[in-house]
Amino acid sequence: MSRGSGGGYDRHITIFSPEGRLFQVEYAFKAVKAAGITSIGVRGKDSVCVVTQKKVPDKLLDQSSVTHLFPVTKYLGLLATGITADSRSLVTQARNEAAEFRFQYGYEMPADILAKWIADKSQVYTQHAYMRPLGVVAMVLGIDEERGPLLYKCDPAGHFYGHKATSAGVKEQEAINFLEKKMKENPAFTYDETVQTAISALQSVLQEDFKATEIEVGVVRADNRIFRSLETEEIEEHLTAISERD
Amino acid sequence: MGDSQYSFSLTTFSPSGKLVQIEHALTAVGSGQTSLGIKASNGVVIATEKKLPSILVDEASVQKIQHLTPNIGTVYSGMGPDFRVLVRKSRKQAEQYLRLYKEPIPVTQLVRETATVMQEFTQSGGVRPFGVSLLVAGYDDKGPQLYQVDPSGSYFSWKASAMGKNVSNAKTFLEKRYTEDMELDDAIHTAILTLKEGFEGEISSKNIEIGKIGADKVFRVLTPAEIDDYLAEVE
Repeated sequence: MSRGSGGGYDRHITIFSPEGRLFQVEYAFKAVKAAGITSIGVRGKDSVCVVTQKKVPDKLLDQSSVTHLFPVTKYLGLLATGITADSRSLVTQARNEAAEFRFQYGYEMPADILAKWIADKSQVYTQHAYMRPLGVVAMVLGIDEERGPLLYKCDPAGHFYGHKATSAGVKEQEAINFLEKKMKENPAFTYDETVQTAISALQSVLQEDFKATEIEVGVVRADNRIFRSLETEEIEEHLTAISERD
Repeated sequence: MGDSQYSFSLTTFSPSGKLVQIEHALTAVGSGQTSLGIKASNGVVIATEKKLPSILVDEASVQKIQHLTPNIGTVYSGMGPDFRVLVRKSRKQAEQYLRLYKEPIPVTQLVRETATVMQEFTQSGGVRPFGVSLLVAGYDDKGPQLYQVDPSGSYFSWKASAMGKNVSNAKTFLEKRYTEDMELDDAIHTAILTLKEGFEGEISSKNIEIGKIGADKVFRVLTPAEIDDYLAEVE
């Protein structure tokens, strides 16, 4: 007769539960949702766009310091959804790793290698009791010289996949359902279509129309591989294009 | 490994003499996607379901079957992230052997070293066992070989084996179909039929992966086009 639930510790540290689950990892996923925002990423024919909500809880906060979108290198962006403090820790380590990679190997770290590194680090936290998993889902975007636009998503369990489009956060499942319909026929979106699909997906699942200051948009394009956060005016243009289209 | 705060094993004996963490790890393996392997007279084939969480996932970015050396490949059932750790460690061990002895590592040696790593994680402080079972397929001087390694670190050589969700149906099917003088192509067809047995939905080259190694001693993952050809032959 197998002993019950590991003395109750299976909920506190990452050991197996009797059903073969890791409760701490599952709770980490819940922590990502508890942060209260939703993020979307879309990969087009020659560009990648990520969008997230920008909720500034207090009017006295300096808006420019509230961000979930981080450049890891000039060419790689990282959108972190979840616990802000964990995100900053992850981004700092990722920046360090990418810089060392460039120094050691003489070329820029590709998006998928960075995603793998993040995922492998997350896996360690699921296996060693002394560190808890991070409450962050990271989306890595970049343009690869050989393979074109890349969008990868890494989660607290240590999984990572390349995506044509994906979502994270509160309305993750609704957004994925929306995007599955849009991407079903494998469309080859242009840059504008990519950005507008991402923004309209967010608007649709959250059922509100955004002002340009309420969202953050990050892009990489084949003709300009530098990772950029869009300015308010540019976001305005895309929002206008979406509302005129509808 | 692990912090000094956790220098005690998390995997300990229950009053009835069981190591429950290992049993739970096996449960995690049993709820993973089905994978299987068949040893033929002139090679080995391993195969797995590749069910992705959404159609939005780029299936070309995911490869579940991995090389450990040019003539040894592996597949898993269970937790993908844990598998990546074992692949990395095994590759390093194989490379260290090659550097020391100037000879490729024999399949049994690599399996033994990988199993040792898995056993260490059932006894060391502050860590949990790996939530994967591995099927290791290789071809060396001793001919084609297929090994299964479990989270406990125990390993066995198999003529044919399966792991994951559909293990009992798959093993029954394999027991009926297996013959000692099977050739590699027959084994690939049998592998596909076995996967088909418990498959939910339509089987295609996009939701399974097949790896093979023949007398050429080169382990290869089949391309989707090649899988399509085999699927057509099976129909």
